[in-house]
Amino acid sequence: MGEVILASEECDVANEVICAPTDVKELFEFDEAIFTVFGVGVTKTIFLMFLAAFVVVALLYFGLRKRQLVPSKFGSAIEALLEFVRDGIAKDVIGPEGYKYVPYLTAIFFFILVGNLFEVTPFINFPITSRMAIPAFLAIVTYVIFIFMGFAKNGFRYLIDTIWPMHVPIGLRWLVGLIELVSVFLLRPFTLAVRLFANMVAGHLMLTLLLGSGVIFLTAVGDIGIRALIGIPWFVLGVAIFVFEVVVSVLQAYIFTLLSAVYIQSSIQFEH
Amino acid sequence: MEGNIEVLKGAIALVGYGLAAIGPGIGIGIVVGNAITAMARQPEMAGTVRTTMFLGIAFTEALALIGFVLFFIA
Repeated sequence: MGEVILASEECDVANEVICAPTDVKELFEFDEAIFTVFGVGVTKTIFLMFLAAFVVVALLYFGLRKRQLVPSKFGSAIEALLEFVRDGIAKDVIGPEGYKYVPYLTAIFFFILVGNLFEVTPFINFPITSRMAIPAFLAIVTYVIFIFMGFAKNGFRYLIDTIWPMHVPIGLRWLVGLIELVSVFLLRPFTLAVRLFANMVAGHLMLTLLLGSGVIFLTAVGDIGIRALIGIPWFVLGVAIFVFEVVVSVLQAYIFTLLSAVYIQSSIQFEH
Repeated sequence: MEGNIEVLKGAIALVGYGLAAIGPGIGIGIVVGNAITAMARQPEMAGTVRTTMFLGIAFTEALALIGFVLFFIA
Protein backbone atom coordinates (compact mmCIF):
# COMPACT_ATOMS: atom_id res chain seq x y z
CA MET A 1 0.00 0.00 0.00
CA GLY A 2 2.95 2.30 0.58
CA GLU A 3 3.76 2.23 -3.11
CA VAL A 4 0.29 3.41 -4.11
CA ILE A 5 0.41 6.31 -1.66
CA LEU A 6 3.86 7.21 -2.96
CA ALA A 7 2.61 7.16 -6.55
CA SER A 8 -0.29 9.40 -5.66
CA GLU A 9 1.97 11.92 -3.92
CA GLU A 10 4.35 12.07 -6.87
CA CYS A 11 1.45 12.60 -9.24
CA ASP A 12 1.32 16.00 -10.95
CA VAL A 13 -2.38 16.80 -10.65
CA ALA A 14 -2.17 19.83 -12.92
CA ASN A 15 -0.92 17.93 -15.97
CA GLU A 16 -1.84 14.26 -15.58
CA VAL A 17 -5.42 13.09 -15.83
CA ILE A 18 -4.91 9.58 -14.46
CA CYS A 19 -2.61 9.01 -11.52
CA ALA A 20 -1.64 5.36 -11.54
CA PRO A 21 1.45 3.51 -10.39
CA THR A 22 3.62 2.83 -13.43
CA ASP A 23 3.46 -0.91 -12.86
CA VAL A 24 1.37 -3.07 -10.54
CA LYS A 25 4.31 -5.47 -10.25
CA GLU A 26 5.71 -3.34 -7.43
CA LEU A 27 2.85 -4.54 -5.26
CA PHE A 28 3.98 -8.13 -5.64
CA GLU A 29 7.75 -8.08 -6.12
CA PHE A 30 10.06 -7.57 -3.19
CA ASP A 31 13.58 -7.63 -4.58
CA GLU A 32 15.63 -6.44 -1.63
CA ALA A 33 16.54 -9.02 0.98
CA ILE A 34 15.28 -8.28 4.48
CA PHE A 35 18.03 -10.39 6.07
CA THR A 36 20.71 -12.83 5.04
CA VAL A 37 21.12 -16.45 6.14
CA PHE A 38 24.44 -18.13 5.29
CA GLY A 39 25.06 -15.67 2.47
CA VAL A 40 21.62 -16.24 0.92
CA GLY A 41 19.40 -13.18 0.87
CA VAL A 42 15.88 -13.83 2.16
CA THR A 43 13.19 -11.64 0.58
CA LYS A 44 9.79 -10.97 2.10
CA THR A 45 8.12 -13.64 -0.04
CA ILE A 46 10.56 -16.40 0.95
CA PHE A 47 10.37 -15.38 4.59
CA LEU A 48 6.58 -15.53 4.52
CA MET A 49 6.69 -18.89 2.78
CA PHE A 50 8.78 -20.39 5.57
CA LEU A 51 6.59 -18.61 8.12
CA ALA A 52 3.51 -20.25 6.59
CA ALA A 53 5.12 -23.69 6.78
CA PHE A 54 6.14 -22.99 10.38
CA VAL A 55 2.63 -21.83 11.30
CA VAL A 56 1.16 -25.02 9.83
CA VAL A 57 3.56 -27.21 11.83
CA ALA A 58 2.91 -25.21 15.00
CA LEU A 59 -0.89 -25.38 14.55
CA LEU A 60 -0.84 -29.14 14.07
CA TYR A 61 1.66 -29.71 16.89
CA PHE A 62 -0.14 -27.62 19.50
CA GLY A 63 -3.57 -28.75 18.32
CA LEU A 64 -2.82 -32.47 18.55
CA ARG A 65 -0.15 -32.51 21.29
CA LYS A 66 -2.34 -33.86 24.07
CA ARG A 67 -4.62 -36.57 22.75
CA GLN A 68 -7.52 -36.87 25.11
CA LEU A 69 -11.09 -38.09 25.02
CA VAL A 70 -12.52 -34.57 25.20
CA PRO A 71 -10.07 -32.28 23.38
CA SER A 72 -9.64 -28.59 24.16
CA LYS A 73 -11.41 -25.97 22.06
CA PHE A 74 -8.35 -25.33 19.92
CA GLY A 75 -7.65 -29.05 19.58
CA SER A 76 -11.17 -29.84 18.45
CA ALA A 77 -11.05 -27.02 15.89
CA ILE A 78 -7.87 -28.49 14.38
CA GLU A 79 -9.40 -31.97 14.53
CA ALA A 80 -12.49 -30.70 12.72
CA LEU A 81 -10.33 -29.28 9.92
CA LEU A 82 -8.36 -32.53 9.63
CA GLU A 83 -11.56 -34.55 9.60
CA PHE A 84 -12.94 -32.25 6.93
CA VAL A 85 -9.96 -32.98 4.67
CA ARG A 86 -9.99 -36.71 5.44
CA ASP A 87 -13.74 -37.39 5.17
CA GLY A 88 -15.01 -34.45 3.14
CA ILE A 89 -12.31 -34.49 0.46
CA ALA A 90 -10.23 -37.68 0.47
CA LYS A 91 -12.90 -40.26 1.31
CA ASP A 92 -15.81 -38.61 -0.50
CA VAL A 93 -13.94 -37.94 -3.73
CA ILE A 94 -11.37 -40.72 -4.06
CA GLY A 95 -13.18 -43.40 -2.08
CA PRO A 96 -11.67 -45.92 0.35
CA GLU A 97 -8.35 -45.71 -1.48
CA GLY A 98 -8.25 -42.04 -0.61
CA TYR A 99 -6.81 -42.55 2.89
CA LYS A 100 -3.39 -43.00 1.27
CA TYR A 101 -3.51 -39.42 0.00
CA VAL A 102 -4.71 -37.80 3.23
CA PRO A 103 -1.21 -36.62 4.33
CA TYR A 104 -0.56 -34.92 1.00
CA LEU A 105 -4.02 -33.33 0.81
CA THR A 106 -3.79 -32.16 4.43
CA ALA A 107 -0.38 -30.62 3.81
CA ILE A 108 -1.39 -28.64 0.74
CA PHE A 109 -4.73 -27.63 2.29
CA PHE A 110 -3.14 -26.19 5.42
CA PHE A 111 -0.22 -24.56 3.59
CA ILE A 112 -2.47 -22.85 1.03
CA LEU A 113 -4.97 -21.86 3.72
CA VAL A 114 -2.31 -20.17 5.84
CA GLY A 115 -0.65 -18.65 2.76
CA ASN A 116 -3.97 -17.24 1.54
CA LEU A 117 -4.97 -15.93 4.94
CA PHE A 118 -1.74 -13.90 5.07
CA GLU A 119 -3.61 -11.64 2.65
CA VAL A 120 -5.96 -10.49 5.40
CA THR A 121 -3.57 -10.82 8.34
CA PRO A 122 -2.73 -7.39 9.75
CA PHE A 123 0.92 -6.27 9.31
CA ILE A 124 1.59 -8.99 6.72
CA ASN A 125 -1.11 -8.26 4.12
CA PHE A 126 0.53 -10.22 1.37
CA PRO A 127 -0.75 -13.58 0.09
CA ILE A 128 2.28 -15.68 -0.79
CA THR A 129 0.15 -17.61 -3.28
CA SER A 130 -0.06 -14.46 -5.40
CA ARG A 131 3.47 -15.22 -6.60
CA MET A 132 3.20 -17.72 -9.43
CA ALA A 133 6.10 -19.88 -8.21
CA ILE A 134 4.22 -21.28 -5.21
CA PRO A 135 0.91 -22.32 -6.85
CA ALA A 136 2.89 -23.56 -9.86
CA PHE A 137 5.07 -25.74 -7.67
CA LEU A 138 2.10 -27.18 -5.78
CA ALA A 139 0.28 -27.83 -9.07
CA ILE A 140 3.35 -29.60 -10.47
CA VAL A 141 3.49 -31.84 -7.39
CA THR A 142 -0.18 -32.75 -7.90
CA TYR A 143 0.49 -33.30 -11.61
CA VAL A 144 3.39 -35.66 -10.90
CA ILE A 145 1.30 -37.58 -8.35
CA PHE A 146 -1.73 -38.11 -10.57
CA ILE A 147 0.27 -38.95 -13.71
CA PHE A 148 2.45 -41.37 -11.74
CA MET A 149 -0.53 -43.03 -10.06
CA GLY A 150 -2.34 -43.26 -13.39
CA PHE A 151 0.54 -45.19 -14.92
CA ALA A 152 1.15 -47.23 -11.76
CA LYS A 153 -2.49 -48.34 -11.44
CA ASN A 154 -3.44 -48.79 -15.08
CA GLY A 155 -0.11 -49.28 -16.81
CA PHE A 156 0.31 -48.01 -20.32
CA ARG A 157 -3.45 -48.36 -20.89
CA TYR A 158 -3.81 -45.03 -19.07
CA LEU A 159 -2.24 -43.17 -21.97
CA ILE A 160 -3.83 -45.32 -24.69
CA ASP A 161 -7.36 -45.03 -23.30
CA THR A 162 -6.97 -41.29 -22.85
CA ILE A 163 -6.05 -40.62 -26.47
CA TRP A 164 -8.17 -43.46 -27.99
CA PRO A 165 -11.32 -43.79 -25.77
CA MET A 166 -13.17 -46.97 -26.76
CA HIS A 167 -16.52 -45.88 -25.30
CA VAL A 168 -16.83 -43.01 -27.79
CA PRO A 169 -18.22 -43.57 -31.33
CA ILE A 170 -15.45 -44.10 -33.87
CA GLY A 171 -16.20 -40.92 -35.83
CA LEU A 172 -15.63 -38.65 -32.85
CA ARG A 173 -12.94 -40.73 -31.17
CA TRP A 174 -9.92 -38.86 -32.52
CA LEU A 175 -11.45 -35.48 -31.59
CA VAL A 176 -12.40 -36.53 -28.05
CA GLY A 177 -8.97 -38.12 -27.68
CA LEU A 178 -7.23 -34.92 -28.75
CA ILE A 179 -9.31 -32.80 -26.37
CA GLU A 180 -8.71 -35.27 -23.52
CA LEU A 181 -4.97 -35.36 -24.23
CA VAL A 182 -4.63 -31.57 -24.13
CA SER A 183 -6.96 -31.14 -21.17
CA VAL A 184 -5.49 -33.91 -18.99
CA PHE A 185 -1.80 -33.50 -19.66
CA LEU A 186 -1.46 -29.78 -20.38
CA LEU A 187 -4.41 -27.75 -19.13
CA ARG A 188 -5.01 -29.44 -15.76
CA PRO A 189 -1.82 -28.33 -14.01
CA PHE A 190 -1.95 -24.96 -15.75
CA THR A 191 -5.51 -24.08 -14.70
CA LEU A 192 -4.94 -25.52 -11.22
CA ALA A 193 -2.06 -23.10 -10.64
CA VAL A 194 -3.59 -20.13 -12.46
CA ARG A 195 -6.91 -20.39 -10.58
CA LEU A 196 -5.28 -19.97 -7.18
CA PHE A 197 -2.76 -17.41 -8.42
CA ALA A 198 -5.24 -15.17 -10.24
CA ASN A 199 -7.75 -15.21 -7.38
CA MET A 200 -5.10 -14.09 -4.94
CA VAL A 201 -3.66 -11.43 -7.27
CA ALA A 202 -7.12 -10.03 -7.89
CA GLY A 203 -7.92 -9.99 -4.17
CA HIS A 204 -4.64 -8.32 -3.21
CA LEU A 205 -5.05 -5.68 -5.95
CA MET A 206 -8.64 -4.92 -4.95
CA LEU A 207 -7.80 -4.58 -1.27
CA THR A 208 -4.78 -2.38 -2.01
CA LEU A 209 -6.67 -0.10 -4.38
CA LEU A 210 -9.83 0.30 -2.29
CA LEU A 211 -8.27 0.69 1.15
CA GLY A 212 -5.34 2.67 -0.32
CA SER A 213 -7.58 5.12 -2.16
CA GLY A 214 -9.73 5.49 0.94
CA VAL A 215 -6.68 6.48 2.98
CA ILE A 216 -5.38 8.76 0.20
CA PHE A 217 -8.69 10.62 -0.13
CA LEU A 218 -9.04 11.04 3.63
CA THR A 219 -5.50 12.38 4.07
CA ALA A 220 -5.45 14.57 0.95
CA VAL A 221 -5.39 18.37 1.09
CA GLY A 222 -8.69 20.19 0.69
CA ASP A 223 -12.07 20.55 2.27
CA ILE A 224 -12.68 17.94 4.98
CA GLY A 225 -16.33 17.47 3.96
CA ILE A 226 -15.49 16.57 0.36
CA ARG A 227 -12.60 14.36 1.45
CA ALA A 228 -14.84 12.40 3.82
CA LEU A 229 -17.58 12.20 1.20
CA ILE A 230 -15.21 10.54 -1.29
CA GLY A 231 -12.93 8.68 1.09
CA ILE A 232 -15.36 6.98 3.47
CA PRO A 233 -17.37 5.08 0.78
CA TRP A 234 -14.11 3.77 -0.66
CA PHE A 235 -12.96 2.68 2.77
CA VAL A 236 -16.29 0.99 3.60
CA LEU A 237 -16.22 -0.83 0.26
CA GLY A 238 -12.66 -1.90 1.04
CA VAL A 239 -13.69 -3.33 4.41
CA ALA A 240 -16.57 -5.21 2.75
CA ILE A 241 -14.16 -6.69 0.19
CA PHE A 242 -11.84 -7.54 3.11
CA VAL A 243 -14.51 -9.82 4.59
CA PHE A 244 -15.19 -11.25 1.15
CA GLU A 245 -11.48 -12.03 0.74
CA VAL A 246 -11.45 -14.11 3.93
CA VAL A 247 -14.15 -16.29 2.33
CA VAL A 248 -12.24 -16.43 -0.97
CA SER A 249 -9.02 -17.47 0.80
CA VAL A 250 -10.67 -20.42 2.54
CA LEU A 251 -12.64 -21.37 -0.57
CA GLN A 252 -9.59 -21.35 -2.82
CA ALA A 253 -7.62 -23.57 -0.43
CA TYR A 254 -10.61 -25.94 -0.44
CA ILE A 255 -10.96 -25.86 -4.23
CA PHE A 256 -7.25 -26.50 -4.83
CA THR A 257 -7.32 -29.53 -2.51
CA LEU A 258 -10.63 -30.75 -3.93
CA LEU A 259 -9.40 -30.53 -7.52
CA SER A 260 -6.16 -32.31 -6.60
CA ALA A 261 -8.27 -35.12 -5.16
CA VAL A 262 -10.53 -35.18 -8.24
CA TYR A 263 -7.55 -35.38 -10.58
CA ILE A 264 -6.01 -38.21 -8.57
CA GLN A 265 -9.36 -40.02 -8.52
CA SER A 266 -9.87 -39.63 -12.26
CA SER A 267 -6.44 -41.06 -13.01
CA ILE A 268 -6.59 -44.10 -10.70
CA GLN A 269 -10.17 -45.07 -11.67
CA PHE A 270 -10.42 -43.52 -15.08
CA GLU A 271 -12.48 -46.26 -16.72
CA HIS A 272 -16.05 -45.26 -17.49
CA MET B 1 3.12 8.66 -29.92
CA GLU B 2 4.77 5.83 -28.02
CA GLY B 3 2.75 6.60 -24.93
CA ASN B 4 -0.53 6.68 -26.86
CA ILE B 5 0.03 3.19 -28.22
CA GLU B 6 0.76 1.91 -24.70
CA VAL B 7 -2.45 3.47 -23.39
CA LEU B 8 -4.40 2.01 -26.32
CA LYS B 9 -2.95 -1.45 -25.66
CA GLY B 10 -4.03 -1.26 -22.03
CA ALA B 11 -7.52 -0.15 -23.05
CA ILE B 12 -7.90 -3.00 -25.55
CA ALA B 13 -6.68 -5.49 -22.93
CA LEU B 14 -9.34 -4.17 -20.55
CA VAL B 15 -12.07 -4.64 -23.17
CA GLY B 16 -10.75 -8.14 -23.84
CA TYR B 17 -10.92 -9.04 -20.19
CA GLY B 18 -14.47 -7.72 -20.03
CA LEU B 19 -15.45 -9.94 -22.96
CA ALA B 20 -13.69 -12.92 -21.38
CA ALA B 21 -15.75 -12.47 -18.21
CA ILE B 22 -19.15 -12.71 -19.94
CA GLY B 23 -19.16 -16.44 -20.64
CA PRO B 24 -17.94 -17.62 -17.23
CA GLY B 25 -20.37 -15.19 -15.56
CA ILE B 26 -23.31 -16.80 -17.33
CA GLY B 27 -21.86 -20.26 -16.71
CA ILE B 28 -21.42 -19.78 -12.98
CA GLY B 29 -24.95 -18.42 -12.80
CA ILE B 30 -26.30 -21.57 -14.44
CA VAL B 31 -24.18 -23.86 -12.22
CA VAL B 32 -25.20 -22.19 -8.95
CA GLY B 33 -28.83 -21.79 -9.97
CA ASN B 34 -29.21 -25.46 -10.82
CA ALA B 35 -27.35 -26.45 -7.65
CA ILE B 36 -29.80 -24.41 -5.57
CA THR B 37 -32.71 -26.06 -7.36
CA ALA B 38 -31.22 -29.47 -6.64
CA MET B 39 -30.63 -28.62 -2.97
CA ALA B 40 -34.17 -27.33 -2.58
CA ARG B 41 -35.64 -30.47 -4.09
CA GLN B 42 -33.47 -32.90 -2.19
CA PRO B 43 -32.08 -31.29 0.96
CA GLU B 44 -30.56 -34.61 2.09
CA MET B 45 -28.21 -34.48 -0.93
CA ALA B 46 -27.04 -30.93 -0.14
CA GLY B 47 -23.50 -31.97 0.82
CA THR B 48 -22.80 -33.84 -2.41
CA VAL B 49 -24.45 -31.14 -4.49
CA ARG B 50 -22.36 -28.45 -2.80
CA THR B 51 -19.09 -30.27 -3.50
CA THR B 52 -20.06 -30.79 -7.14
CA MET B 53 -21.18 -27.17 -7.37
CA PHE B 54 -17.77 -25.93 -6.21
CA LEU B 55 -16.12 -28.20 -8.77
CA GLY B 56 -18.32 -26.80 -11.53
CA ILE B 57 -17.63 -23.24 -10.42
CA ALA B 58 -13.90 -23.92 -10.36
CA PHE B 59 -13.86 -25.34 -13.88
CA THR B 60 -16.01 -22.52 -15.26
CA GLU B 61 -14.15 -19.78 -13.44
CA ALA B 62 -10.82 -20.85 -14.94
CA LEU B 63 -11.63 -19.16 -18.26
CA ALA B 64 -12.29 -15.80 -16.63
CA LEU B 65 -9.10 -16.10 -14.60
CA ILE B 66 -7.01 -16.91 -17.67
CA GLY B 67 -8.47 -13.75 -19.21
CA PHE B 68 -7.47 -11.85 -16.09
CA VAL B 69 -3.89 -13.12 -16.29
CA LEU B 70 -3.66 -12.38 -20.03
CA PHE B 71 -4.77 -8.81 -19.25
CA PHE B 72 -1.61 -8.35 -17.21
CA ILE B 73 0.60 -10.10 -19.74
CA ALA B 74 -0.73 -8.02 -22.66
